[in-house]
Amino acid sequence: MRVTQNMEQTQFLTALNQLESTISSTQNGLSTGLSFTTASQNPVGAGLVSGYNQVLAQSQQYTANGQSAQGSINIEDNALTQVQSQLQTLRSLALEANNATESPADRSAIATQVQQIQGTLLSIANTQDGSGDYIFAGYATQTQPFAASATGATYSGDQGQRLVQIGAGQTVVAADNGDLVFQQIKTGNGTFNVTQGPGNTGSGIIGATTVTNAAGYNGDPYAINFTTPTTYQVVDTATAAVVGGGTYTSGQAIAFAGLSVTLSGAPAALDSFDVTPSTNQSVFTTVQNLANALQQSSTGAASEATLNNSIANAINNIDQALGQVQTVQSSVGARLNTITTQQSVATTQQTQLTQSITTLQGLNYASAITNLDSENTTLSASMQAFTLTQGLSLFKYL
Amino acid sequence: MSNVFGIDVSALQAFQQAIEVTSNNVANANTPGYDVESIELATAAAQSTGSIPIGAGVVVDGVQRAYSQAAANQLITSQSSLGQLNALQNYTSQIDNLFGTTAGGLTTALQNYYNGWSAVADNPTSTASRQALLGDATALASNFNTTSTQLNNLNTDVNTRITSDVQQINSISAQISNLNQQIVTSTGSGQAPNALLDQRDLLVSNLSQLAGVTTTSNSDGSINVFVGSGQPLVLDNNSYTLGTIPNQFNASQLDVSSTATGGQSISSAITSGDLGGLLAARTQAIDPAINQLGQIATAVEQSANAQQNLGLNLNGTLGANLFSVGAPIATASAANSDATTATLTISNVQALTSDNYVLAYNAGAYTLTDATTGANIPVTVAGTTVAAASVGLSVALSGTPAAGDQFLLQPTSQAAATIGVALTNPSGLAAAGAIATSAADTNTGSASIGTGTVLNAANPNLLNATTIKFLSPTTYSVNGAGTFAYASGANIALNGWQVQISGTPAVGDTFTVQGNTAGSGDNTNALAAANQATKGILSNGTISVSGAVGSLISGTGAQAQQVNTAQTAQTAVNTQAQSNLQSVTGVNLDEEAANLLQWQQSYQAAAQALSIANSLFSSVLSAVKGQ
Repeated sequence: MRVTQNMEQTQFLTALNQLESTISSTQNGLSTGLSFTTASQNPVGAGLVSGYNQVLAQSQQYTANGQSAQGSINIEDNALTQVQSQLQTLRSLALEANNATESPADRSAIATQVQQIQGTLLSIANTQDGSGDYIFAGYATQTQPFAASATGATYSGDQGQRLVQIGAGQTVVAADNGDLVFQQIKTGNGTFNVTQGPGNTGSGIIGATTVTNAAGYNGDPYAINFTTPTTYQVVDTATAAVVGGGTYTSGQAIAFAGLSVTLSGAPAALDSFDVTPSTNQSVFTTVQNLANALQQSSTGAASEATLNNSIANAINNIDQALGQVQTVQSSVGARLNTITTQQSVATTQQTQLTQSITTLQGLNYASAITNLDSENTTLSASMQAFTLTQGLSLFKYL
Repeated sequence: MSNVFGIDVSALQAFQQAIEVTSNNVANANTPGYDVESIELATAAAQSTGSIPIGAGVVVDGVQRAYSQAAANQLITSQSSLGQLNALQNYTSQIDNLFGTTAGGLTTALQNYYNGWSAVADNPTSTASRQALLGDATALASNFNTTSTQLNNLNTDVNTRITSDVQQINSISAQISNLNQQIVTSTGSGQAPNALLDQRDLLVSNLSQLAGVTTTSNSDGSINVFVGSGQPLVLDNNSYTLGTIPNQFNASQLDVSSTATGGQSISSAITSGDLGGLLAARTQAIDPAINQLGQIATAVEQSANAQQNLGLNLNGTLGANLFSVGAPIATASAANSDATTATLTISNVQALTSDNYVLAYNAGAYTLTDATTGANIPVTVAGTTVAAASVGLSVALSGTPAAGDQFLLQPTSQAAATIGVALTNPSGLAAAGAIATSAADTNTGSASIGTGTVLNAANPNLLNATTIKFLSPTTYSVNGAGTFAYASGANIALNGWQVQISGTPAVGDTFTVQGNTAGSGDNTNALAAANQATKGILSNGTISVSGAVGSLISGTGAQAQQVNTAQTAQTAVNTQAQSNLQSVTGVNLDEEAANLLQWQQSYQAAAQALSIANSLFSSVLSAVKGQ
């Protein structure tokens, strides 16, 4: 091929441009530490890195969510521990008051303590977190959930449970509502509740109540009616059908419809004991009922028995409340565990994602420096070659 | 004897001219478009002196320029392709740099926005986290705006360059036509006007960088030049001019017109050269990027607003729109024969694409064509409303259009530029679910009620309280009326909401569904908004917003990479074509030096011959003198 000086010049300049642009790109990589800084350098990689970064940011947000949930759950955990301790104290006081040796004055003093516990429980139920939100109000976190009333307390919150996202598709309950913790407490033994009739004149005392055959219990209310101090009838008050009866022996269990009720003492004729299915009763109502009962003056066996029955019923209900609080608290513990587990999973995931991003977009310094070196060598060689060939001219010899 | 002098003088003159031609070659070694010239020598006709004919010396036949039409055509074609790729690459690489690996920071802005919702969900009553979310939303919107502005600036730049290219092309065409006249005149006189031909070839070569051209030669030495698919620029001595006209649908974009076609747009025919590259950059790189960005902005706006509308804000009222965007654009063609206008609405963001569509009315029927793929989109027509459910669009026309009317539908082109945050008060963010459900504490059955979902936030009774009371374990009444059959887990829908009650209820059990107006601590809706980060929103619910951003990044990156590769390859092809032409027409200085030596020696030899003839003549003279 016939070569002209012009061709040499053009070709050299084109090559020089390309070499310099390659060197500039390698230098850019070295100064940023990235193998690509625009998508055109690695379209697939750029798309992947964008996806990884998004997952990474989300995972970090999940960790932050978990930490925030941990905070509020810890506050709830503390509150529930305090509730338990107050209920334990209450139970001891009730047992103490149920003692026949207690004078009305003693009981009145205990009633005052019970009222104080009621106040403490209310203030715990109205606990606010760091940002002033009521933790037991459900969704209505800016409404004080509980207010004292004549029968215990009224609830102004709702049944909402705030969920917090701690992982992809994984949520935990960040707060339990007050209705669940303080109000959805079954009376009696959790299945049924036995109370003495309002007009009882005898001294019959309600003892142990158990479900002997859950399948045999139809959920109807029943009444144990004494026709004489020694004979009784069991009536299904929903259907008015007589389902049992017999001769009364103090301390002997009366069994009917899958249930068993033990009565003791001396009931009078026409006394009755009502067996009703358990309903929800607020712990505040239970406490208020106990305080009210303790302030009744008891004179004689009949009113002593009424008092005993009231206190025993209150103790049953307190036990139910304790059970409810313990159940909630164990779920709180489980949630804290879930968050901890999730956070360690998230940490591993974040490490892996960061590694993947580095693998994709990180610069291999060794090869980049080698490349830069070889590109520099090529550049200087081509410059030298150009100078040499340009120096060759026949005109020099003329 | 006198013949000897004649021969020598002819030789001296010829070699002197040869040295002049060589010197001219050396002088023009770096002149663009110069073709190396060589002198053509011939033997002068013999003069018969007696029986033996002896040559009468040398004559200069002419000066020939080295030229290869094939090599020149190859270079013209290659330059047009390179010109197109250079212009296109200029814009694809600008978009590539603008987007980088984060779509201009869009990925970060989106992450911050969704994480902002998550932070609100963590603490729904905190004004600080709500304010932060509004800040994130504003940053996201302005990121869309900024990127869109930068892309639109590229379109403005394209317009400027189209105008400047058209001016240059017109100027070159006029010069070629002028040279044609001079060449025709000079060719008539018998000698090739090499300098003029060189100039004309150079002009054609320059023209080919601006737009793909083809040339044909006429017998009188003039050439015809055509652009695009055969629109004439120069015919004999006449030149036609190109101009710019606004696009029939979008007055802000310039098309190329030609006086040869009566001022009609010839843009679609121009596919190579700088002009072709500019037009391609607009339709293949800039507009698609604006549309894709707009599609993402629309998805963010529509999904966020829909979620806002489903929830309650801190004031206990249904959430208002968080984002606003300008209405999608539908423009009537400037060529339409009546004034029918079209209004475009997006009916389903999930089906939305980033393409533009052309709606045409002909022979009483509407046809909708995808402007990018050319695919025909099925439409359903009701009166003057044309709905295309498969692409999530609906067009309302102001009346029945005239036959042949066309409308360009741009569902997404304006979204990225116009997206803004409509909400100013942080308490307006709807973090809470609209309804709250509860079971009465007096319930004795085992049935429980779910949290419920809002089906239609527009229902005016949505927030009304509703009591569901069980009349028996298998029937219930609503607000004390009616008897409805109960099935555990079945949907119960009313007033725009839907809930499930499951389990075994007891007689008298009641459940309440009511407006969650006091539920400032509820985060149900904020959680749902945060989860939109990974929810399939686009492409019929298969691609999340972040996924679409990823596709945008790799898509524009792949395009830039492909154009870069093509440009590098074409540069090599072009260098080769230049070398091929140079190899034939370029000046090799060494060659010229050798020629110079040759002519110098020949000249010296002829001079020597003249000297010998002179001495011969002197000998004769002295001999005669001596007698």
